[in-house]
Order: sequence, then C-alpha cells, then structure tokens
Amino acid sequence: MRVFFLVLVATLATRIDLFAAEAGMPQLDPKYWASQAFWLVLVFTLLYISISKFFIPKIKDTMEDRNNKIKDDIDEANNLKNISEKKLNEYNLLIEKAKKEVQKILNENKNKLNAEIQNKKRIIDKEIEEEILKAQNEIKNLKKEAVGSIGKISEEIAMKIIEEISGDKLNENSIKAAVAESSKKNINKYL
Amino acid sequence: MATNPMHQFNVHRIGPEIKIAGVDISFTNASLFMVISAISICLLLFLGTKKRKIVPDKIQLVTEMFYNFIAKMISDTAGSKAKPYFPFIFSLFMFVLFCNMVGMLPYSFTVTSHIIVTLILAIFIFIAVTIIGFIKHGFGYLKLFVPSGVPIVLLPLITVIEVISYLSRPVSLSVRLFANMMAGHTMLKVFGGFVISLGLLGGWLPLSFSVALTGLEILVAFLQAYVFAILTCIYLNDALNLHH
Repeated sequence: MRVFFLVLVATLATRIDLFAAEAGMPQLDPKYWASQAFWLVLVFTLLYISISKFFIPKIKDTMEDRNNKIKDDIDEANNLKNISEKKLNEYNLLIEKAKKEVQKILNENKNKLNAEIQNKKRIIDKEIEEEILKAQNEIKNLKKEAVGSIGKISEEIAMKIIEEISGDKLNENSIKAAVAESSKKNINKYL
Repeated sequence: MATNPMHQFNVHRIGPEIKIAGVDISFTNASLFMVISAISICLLLFLGTKKRKIVPDKIQLVTEMFYNFIAKMISDTAGSKAKPYFPFIFSLFMFVLFCNMVGMLPYSFTVTSHIIVTLILAIFIFIAVTIIGFIKHGFGYLKLFVPSGVPIVLLPLITVIEVISYLSRPVSLSVRLFANMMAGHTMLKVFGGFVISLGLLGGWLPLSFSVALTGLEILVAFLQAYVFAILTCIYLNDALNLHH
C-alpha cells in the first residue's frame, strides 16, 4: 500500500499525463475523468434519490410495523393474562362460595335429620314403653286370673283326692277355706 | 487479455462519443459498472422490500441487516443528530460496497479502483461536512482546529497540524479506498499471471495464493466500504457535535 501511495504522490508531483503513461496507471490518464465524474454523479444521485425516497421509508415502515405488531401482541397477551387471572379468581371465589354453601346445606340437613331421628326415636321409645306397660299389665292380670283358676283347680283336685282317700264328701266350704289359706301362704312366691 | 496487471484498470468507451461543451462524457466501462452496481443495489432493496413480511424471508433479512448495520454505525459514531444523513450514508456504503464486490467478479471492472471516483466522493463529503459544520456552529466551527486543554505555547503548532489534517481528509479518504482496491486487484492479476507462466508444474502455489487473496480481497472490499462509511460518520460527528 505504501508503495502505491508513494507512486501516487510522485505522479501527482510531476506532470500527470506524462507520468501516467510511464507508470502504466490508467487511473492517472485524465482522458475519461470527466466522463467518470459525470456518470458517478448521475448514478449516485439517482441511487441516493431512489434509496432515500423509496427504499428506506419502506424498510423503516416494515420494521416499525413489526415492532408495533410485537408490542401489540405483547400488550394483548398481557391483557389476556390479566383477564384470565381475573376469571380464575372469580372461579376460585365461586368454588369457595359453593363449597361453603354445600357445607351449610350439609350441616342443616344433618341437624334436621338428627332432630327428626331423635323425635322419631322418642316417639317410638314412648310407644315401646307403653306397649311394655300394657304387656306387663296383661301379664299381671293373666297371672291374677291364673291364680284364681289355680285356686279352683286345687279345690277340685283336693276334693277328688279326699274323696278317693276317704270315700267321703267333705264340706265344700271347708276345703275352699283350706286351699285359700295355703295358697295365700304360697302365692306371693309366684306373683 | 493482456498480461499487464494494470490493463484491467483501462477505461474505454462503449457506444458513441458524447460531448457536452467540449467535455467528453461518453459512456464507458466504468460507467457501465457504476450502473450495474446501482441496479444490483436497487434490485436487492426492491426484492427485500417487496413483500414486507412480519417474519422476514432471506432477502428481506439481508436488506434489514444492512439497514440496521448502518443505523447502528451512525448512532454509535455520530449520535442521534446524524439521523437526517442516514439515507446518504446508507447509499454511500451500499454504492462503495457493491462497486467493490462487483469488481471481484472475473472480467469485471472495479469502479472504486479509480482515484477520480473516490476523490469525487471524498471531496463531496468533505465539502458537505464543512458546510454542515459552519451552518450548525457558524464560525464556532473553527474551534475544531483549536483543541482545548493544550498549552498556549503549543497552540499555534497544534492548530497548524489540525488544519493540515482536516484538509488532508479527502485525500486520505479517497486514496485509502482507491489504493486498496487497485493494489488488491493488481496482486490478483499478478498471481493469476504467475499461474499461467509457471504452468501445470509450478502453477499450483500461485494458484493457492490467488485463492487465498480472493478471500482476502472480498474481506477488503467489505472492510473498505465500511471504513469509508464510518470515516464519513466520524467527520459528520465532528461537524454535528463540536467537542474536540
């Protein structure tokens, strides 16, 4: 590079066209300098105009669109997230409420049922007691009756036994009295 | 094709001779390749902006990469004030890059290997930057040549150096690009010539060099376009944000 630079300086220092021919550098031949300058200015100006007026705004717009779209998408995603979080909270609240209600209904029903069961139990217990009392009375009566008929039977048996043994007929009344006496003595054992 | 490595830089007329006021502005192969480069740029940008997809396809991605690349370069070097000059820097970078790259095609012509082309670009940039500087800061722009924090004794010397370095900007800018392109293409041509002259037996070494150089030249083609654009940005930065 330095060599070329030196060559350039040397050529610029002397008469350009003469030296150019000697050095063999077509760059230093001024024949087409004007043409190159003209075409460079023309082409570059056209390029600059088309890039600045046409292409750069388009690229810029495209990238801005993209950035906006990304921003919008992020915003929307955040929005949706917030909404879904809200919904989730609502849902949780609802579930909580429903659970409480269920608990309440359950408790109420339990209490109601318990009360009803207690009631029914009481009624049934009462009935059972009554039935038991009735049955006990009946038994008592039956026993009393039984005692009566046992007295009669014992009298008859006693009469027959006496008749068989003695061949006499005893006074009915005396036998009755004797049986009543002995039964009075022993009846308390069975009642 | 002549074996003279400088032959590739010859400019010759294509079509009729055009003269305006005695100045020859005929259409030449240089003009042709400027047009080809410009059309390639337009084609790329056209294809890249045609569909305007939200999710870009390949060519759109390339276009947007160029766009973002230049935008980032400008904002990094010259700040937000340089935004109005974005289209110019973009066009400049694309034009230099495509001229360099088109020049890498065999039998083509490298527009940027001509000092007159790079010099005109550089002088235009130099004048434009100077005008912008004076418009933005008035005569305060001359403070650019008087750096702050320099001892008074050294000030005249420093100022002279600053003025010289400022005035040599167009020269360094244009010569850097032109010399790089010319040197690279000459070297390619020289090694290509060696391949032919050494023949089947000895030609392999220069051939491999030639292949390696081609890769290097593609890198240089991109790099020089980048350097050209970024130096423009830096000059613009001096003119827009005066703090030396």
